[in-house]
Amino acid sequence: MALFPLISNFEGDFVLQLVPVDTENTMDEVAAAAAHHSVGRRVKPRPGHVIRVRKQGSEELIPRTAKISEAGIKPMECLEFVWEAPKH
Amino acid sequence: MAVLNRTDWYDVARTTNWTPKYVTEDELFPPELSGSFDIPMEKWEAYDEPYKQTYPEYVKVQREKDAGVYSVKAALERSKMFENADPGWQSVLKLHFGAIPRGEYAASTAEARMMRFSKAPGMRNMATLGSMDEIRHAQLQLYFPHEHVSKDRQFDWAHKAFDTNEWAAIASRHFFDDIMMARDAISVGIMLTFGFETGFTNMQFLGLAADAAEAGDFTFSSLISSIQTDESRHAQIGGPTLQILIENGRKEEAQKKVDIAFWRAWRLFSVLTGPIMDYYTPLEHRKQSFKEFMQEWIVEQFERSILDLGLDKPWYWDIFLEQLDQQHHGMHLGVWYWRPTVWWNPTAGVTPEERDWLEEKYPGWNDTWGHCWDVIIDNLVEGRTELTLPETLPIVCNMCNLPVNYTPGNGWNVQDYSLEYNGRLYHFGSEPDRWIFEQEPERYAGHMTLVDRFLAGLVQPMDLGGALAYMDLAPGESGDDAHGYSWVEVYKQLRMKKAS
Repeated sequence: MALFPLISNFEGDFVLQLVPVDTENTMDEVAAAAAHHSVGRRVKPRPGHVIRVRKQGSEELIPRTAKISEAGIKPMECLEFVWEAPKH
Repeated sequence: MAVLNRTDWYDVARTTNWTPKYVTEDELFPPELSGSFDIPMEKWEAYDEPYKQTYPEYVKVQREKDAGVYSVKAALERSKMFENADPGWQSVLKLHFGAIPRGEYAASTAEARMMRFSKAPGMRNMATLGSMDEIRHAQLQLYFPHEHVSKDRQFDWAHKAFDTNEWAAIASRHFFDDIMMARDAISVGIMLTFGFETGFTNMQFLGLAADAAEAGDFTFSSLISSIQTDESRHAQIGGPTLQILIENGRKEEAQKKVDIAFWRAWRLFSVLTGPIMDYYTPLEHRKQSFKEFMQEWIVEQFERSILDLGLDKPWYWDIFLEQLDQQHHGMHLGVWYWRPTVWWNPTAGVTPEERDWLEEKYPGWNDTWGHCWDVIIDNLVEGRTELTLPETLPIVCNMCNLPVNYTPGNGWNVQDYSLEYNGRLYHFGSEPDRWIFEQEPERYAGHMTLVDRFLAGLVQPMDLGGALAYMDLAPGESGDDAHGYSWVEVYKQLRMKKAS
């Protein structure tokens, strides 16, 4: 358990933001923390979509249950938060 | 006795490169202050200033300029122009006066460095006058806003801004320290007078004076015009400086200094001038968009200036041209969203008519920037103002110290340009910002952005209140929407019309 600062680059938003999370947070929890500063503020909510996390420049999404401490993420690394459409 | 014409004696009188007997040349002109570039003394004497003026001529002309600008102010003091001005225009004045005069005062020191330490006699003479110009500009632009301090304490920031850790003040200081306070005389000549003044401010002041006249603010218009006439003279210090460097095999170094200064000036312009022209200036007074202004007055003029001198366009020219469509919209949105952190009241500038204008000038605006504003407008219409205020910090660039931002919405294209240096991760808002850092990392590596300071625990408590206290923004100074959200009414009416 340790405070862990990250940079959020949220799909549809215009600015990088500082998001404090915890090393034990999962990617879903990290995504929720990032969404708090973008969705409903400058980005329209997309009901039914899931917010996924990937490293900048990577197409590979980090598993939703992976914890910060397990994902090889550095403090103040820039993560991209992207919308995933619901699977039918 | 007949008096000689100035042209008959000027060159002889200002050629003051005597041969020192008691000290070495390096003692008289320390390289770190003079910036000799290993060019011999006699080569610097070839410096041919395009604007030749003597001290008596200078004093006579400046006295007339001062008399003119102070009389306009005195004549219009009771006109109530300020009280009746659109709040957007009042914000332009507050932003300008906070951002400029103390920088002008610092510039007098930079000019003084050229005056004392340049090896080019002609440059020394021009810089002597330039240094006095800058003192005049500082005094004028501190005096003029002072009459408004009793009406609105945000005007106190004309004097205060540069002494604070407010984010825009940090960005300004970082830029001016880099190009003019911590450079040798020759680099100051290139980076301040050519990169910044020839490239940007000389033309920008022309545009600003015209905008002020259009808005009916003749006091500000005459002030800016008066300053611009000085700028157009001392901005010419850099051209002949570059010529000497190029003629003596130093083109590469000259080019790099121009490239660094121009980019850094552009970033500052994107936050200071872009929003003013495209959002703060009332729609009916807008003559051209910021992009049109930049293309006509900055891009074309600067391209001509550098090519005439034998330099090349900066390597990032295509990136710069692309940013003209986007970057200032993000700076504006950022300033408005984080409005409690500035000393002026930002105008939103997004009524339906204004959005039509933005779409016309910047095709695709509604599909990108408009998406963010749609959410903000919805929140304001629904009374959710708290969602239009920040709860965290934006990441700011380790070079320009401005928020890292770019196109949102359907054109989402935001990126962190990062760099790891000596174990520390740095973040930049663009490729050229990172490139500048890489040219001389030790020069910049120790500086802490506002976000770095926050993470280091220098901002306490670690919330908006703590950040405002750190930035010295007292209640009554902290920014809010310029029009008190009155522009939201039209959207409420549209919503009701749609519902009925």
